[in-house]
Amino acid sequence: MHEFSISSEIVKNVLDAAEKNNGEKVLSVQLEIGELTLLNIEQVIFWIHELFKGSAAEGAEVKVKTIKARIHCKVCGYKGGIRFNQEDSFRHLCLQNCPRCNSFQIKVDKGRECVLRRIQVVK
Amino acid sequence: MKIIKSKGPEIFDIELEKDILAKNRNLAKENKKRFDRSNILAIDIMGSIGSGKTSLIKAILKKLGMGKKVAVIAGDLTTTIDAERIEIEGARVIQVNTGKECHLDANLIRQAMDGMKLDGVKLLFIENVGNLICPGEFPLGAHKRIVVVSVTEGPYMIVKHPYIFREADMIVLNKIDLAKAMKVDPYQLERDAKKINPQVPFIKTNALNGTGISKIINALGLKT
Repeated sequence: MHEFSISSEIVKNVLDAAEKNNGEKVLSVQLEIGELTLLNIEQVIFWIHELFKGSAAEGAEVKVKTIKARIHCKVCGYKGGIRFNQEDSFRHLCLQNCPRCNSFQIKVDKGRECVLRRIQVVK
Repeated sequence: MKIIKSKGPEIFDIELEKDILAKNRNLAKENKKRFDRSNILAIDIMGSIGSGKTSLIKAILKKLGMGKKVAVIAGDLTTTIDAERIEIEGARVIQVNTGKECHLDANLIRQAMDGMKLDGVKLLFIENVGNLICPGEFPLGAHKRIVVVSVTEGPYMIVKHPYIFREADMIVLNKIDLAKAMKVDPYQLERDAKKINPQVPFIKTNALNGTGISKIINALGLKT
């Protein structure tokens, strides 16, 4: 739901970095988004394209890599990935429990990031 | 024949490795340090639209009777209705309008603090924008996060949103007087909450008549 604000922040960072490095045009942007963030990747890409319009990054390719979730369980000590229900891609937001003991007392170690990894510019 | 080709544009990769969400987390840590330096206990109140966040703050303020020693940052999209309702209770209030945003973020809290006189303030309530999804991803730096859920939201609110309830330091089930009419079992909601967050204090309230408000005050360690 907060894709617009996150996208605005990404766009600001991209344009600042391009300017600092004397980039005339931004060709591509590479992002890494954790699968446990509440970000809809399609919407993020849509907003970035919209916000790029009229800037040095208009038309730049936006690539998004998903970062897999890693958790640890406070009950049984399990460390690793989480189980996903293949049929429902949003269920992981509801069912964040330990795949070994089913406890909901887990801590997320990875999967909540939204990283602007690199951009490609023409000088 | 010797051909001279014009030199094409040069393409460069610029490594940035910037975590966009980390910026908020770092600002939240700074806010927390600022609260600690000023000896202010900061409490973030989250919950759906209409769950009773403002009514709960009003009820707590009424019971505490601390006047201007309490400050409230009221978050809303565009109106000042919440701030006006709270101001009647004698607290210092600042309204933060987020415009298009569905949550408060740490930077807005920092700005609100800059615009507020905090001398003598012991307690700060931050009323988040009505939403059970986004605020969970944006810590503000508060010492405690309370999630307010009301029986009028139906029996599945906690099961549907474990993300925010897991992070909560206290869960308040409001409008408890309407449970029967809504055919909602408050004890089932409590069991749902304890399954996700076993240690969390779960307090049933009716913010309009004051039921349960003392329990919140005691659980937060506030003096009446």
